[in-house]
Amino acid sequence: MATTTEHEHEHSGGIADHIHPEPQGFIRRYVFSIDHKIIGIQYIITGFVFLMLSGLLAEVIRTQLLHPTGGFVSNDTYNEVYSVHGSAMVWLVIIPLVTGGFGNFVMPLQIGARDVAFPWLNMLSFWMFPLAGLMLFSSFLMGAPVAGWTEYPPMSLQAGPGTSMWCAAIFLIGVSSTLTGINFLVTILRMRAPGMTFTRMPLFVWAQLATAPLSMVATTALAAALAALFMERQFGVPFYDPTKGGSPLLWQHMFWFYSHPAVYIMVLPAFGVISEVLPTFSRKPIFGYKLIAFSSVAIALAGFMVWAHHMFTSGLAPYLQLPFMILTFTIAIPTGVKIFSWVATLWGGKIHFTSAMLFAVGFLALFTLGGITGIFLAAVPFDLHVHGTYFVVAHFHYVLVGGSLMGLFAGTYYWFPKMSGRMMNETLGKLHFWLFFIGFNGTFLPQHWLGILGMPRRVPVYDPQFTSWNQFSSYSSYLMTFGILLFFINLLMSIRTGKKAGANPWGARTLEWQIPSPPHYYNFKHIPTVYGLPYDFSYPLPYSGLDQELTDAPGPASTLAGAH
Amino acid sequence: MAVASLPHGAPDAHHGGVDQLYAETRELRLQGFLLFLVSDVVLFSSFIFAYLYMRSSGQGWPPPGIGRLDVAFAALNSVVLFGSGATMHYALENWKHGHFNRYALLMVATIILGAAFLGGQGYEYTNLIYNEHVTWAGSGVFGASFFTLTGMHGFHVFVGVWYLTILLLQSVQGIYTKDKYFGLTAGTLYWHFVDVIWVVLFSIFYLI
Repeated sequence: MATTTEHEHEHSGGIADHIHPEPQGFIRRYVFSIDHKIIGIQYIITGFVFLMLSGLLAEVIRTQLLHPTGGFVSNDTYNEVYSVHGSAMVWLVIIPLVTGGFGNFVMPLQIGARDVAFPWLNMLSFWMFPLAGLMLFSSFLMGAPVAGWTEYPPMSLQAGPGTSMWCAAIFLIGVSSTLTGINFLVTILRMRAPGMTFTRMPLFVWAQLATAPLSMVATTALAAALAALFMERQFGVPFYDPTKGGSPLLWQHMFWFYSHPAVYIMVLPAFGVISEVLPTFSRKPIFGYKLIAFSSVAIALAGFMVWAHHMFTSGLAPYLQLPFMILTFTIAIPTGVKIFSWVATLWGGKIHFTSAMLFAVGFLALFTLGGITGIFLAAVPFDLHVHGTYFVVAHFHYVLVGGSLMGLFAGTYYWFPKMSGRMMNETLGKLHFWLFFIGFNGTFLPQHWLGILGMPRRVPVYDPQFTSWNQFSSYSSYLMTFGILLFFINLLMSIRTGKKAGANPWGARTLEWQIPSPPHYYNFKHIPTVYGLPYDFSYPLPYSGLDQELTDAPGPASTLAGAH
Repeated sequence: MAVASLPHGAPDAHHGGVDQLYAETRELRLQGFLLFLVSDVVLFSSFIFAYLYMRSSGQGWPPPGIGRLDVAFAALNSVVLFGSGATMHYALENWKHGHFNRYALLMVATIILGAAFLGGQGYEYTNLIYNEHVTWAGSGVFGASFFTLTGMHGFHVFVGVWYLTILLLQSVQGIYTKDKYFGLTAGTLYWHFVDVIWVVLFSIFYLI
């Protein structure tokens, strides 16, 4: 900055109008790009590749469980498979997709910015992601982690060298997540278009605003836990080994202090997607805008105070169990506020059941179910009964797959036209939804009663009395996977042959739909001014300064051409 | 927030544009840097939590067989580090007032004091390891928590000494001006952050 001369900035009036010329050449444009839109799409493609890989691992699990005696893979391999499946789905699929992927592509557009605050840092964050993924999957070559995605000591201390690789991989993706959190927080706080006050921000931006500090603070706590595990494994420095004075419970505290907020890192942005999709396809203002916005923040704050509800069976002092139980119950309040606001948004609306909308409505049903079993699990007596059983597996798949992943699918169908300029195939999309929805419920609904009956998770064999429901679950999971396959086929097909989308195929009102699809490198020709909420469908658009966006008028790139 | 208020080619854009752009960029970078320090605080806090957790669940502290740490020497070393915080503060103040020579002198003093603190820590480590036989991996949770936390802090000081050296060289080269010195602000913030962390570490390891 300091070396630029006055001449170079003749046309610029501050950061909003300050843009760098469009990079030339394939490498600078599409590989090491600093454009938030390209980086967002890079995250999404990479995340979907990892979704396929860890989805395959899920099918290995379900195939193993077709028979009570297992036999598809060895018991040791089975441990590795579910450990990597969980780790990859959390850290390589959902978190990068909801923040780095959709957050990157959509958020700067929605706040009327030209990019994130630190574009170069953004690129750095992205490139840590595929590297971390390769490290995690490469642990299969040296004996992958076997203690589940939670990697409790002492088991994680005794496992093979792959667990150290796991530590390093998760640490790296954690650094990436932290940097993205810092980047997004500064972007949202400081780079909004004129007139976009906090209470005029789209709800997806609110969701990212609530998520960014979580990624920043909680992930750093995880980094400490991982570093300690790594040091103990590699150099014998005692933290968790009880024979040397360490405490296995310490890991559980540090891990869950991160991993409970991580649940909200995964689901808050999905809430944001739903809050965009529902009003658009109901043609009706969102109900309770401020309540939805503030409840995201409430959930994020409360998320830091409930971690020990994962540890009710770990020997947590009884006088600590009650407050953690009650605090956990209170999270249902802001979440319920959201659910009811969304339902009220649908109420009396002119509903268009596009693929995106189907996924959003499916999200409402499944996430509510997952939330309700969450309340069950927060109750100490019930948790003591079902802890470590398939009931827990069913619960978190309802919130993470039924919640986050459904939200991701809704977001993909919704924003694909903006990213590519083409529409996705609606018939395939609806088929994807129904196969996925039916397959998902078939897979995970029976796991609730399997868990209550006492089938333990993470065990490769089971009591023969559970056979029929396990087979039902496995066959349903194939249906779900087939649905996802259709989704990928749809993506690959639509990107080439989908019909042209135009700027605003859904008639949506947030800023990203008022500019061409795909947007120019510089996003906006002129930074617009914002006068109101983006959800009031009966009024004119609350923006000025957008009248040249869809014309041939030259963008700021041409006025600045050759300036740098 | 109204970052786009100046229209293209406005009369004052010729001069105002540069300064406004700098001011806004500075704001962004400052906020980003502060958030980075916040996440670093969380990193230290997590290890401090781990230390306090292990300490409270053990049988007395320091554990049997390990003597108390040398408070007097560490206190002296702390004074060296806090002194460097003071010289850093006045270095930046002098920069703001355009007294380059005094700035450079104070920067050199800060760097020397920082290096002296590291030397003191090295002496303390050597003494612990060779005379008291307290090591990182071989002395239970005491060695683990003490060497990990003070080592992390020492690493931050080490990075800080290099960071300040680079800043000093950059300012000699004329990269910063009287109005545009964000790098120096960031360096000062970082150095004060390292100081504050040491206040906490000194209290929890040597005083309680």
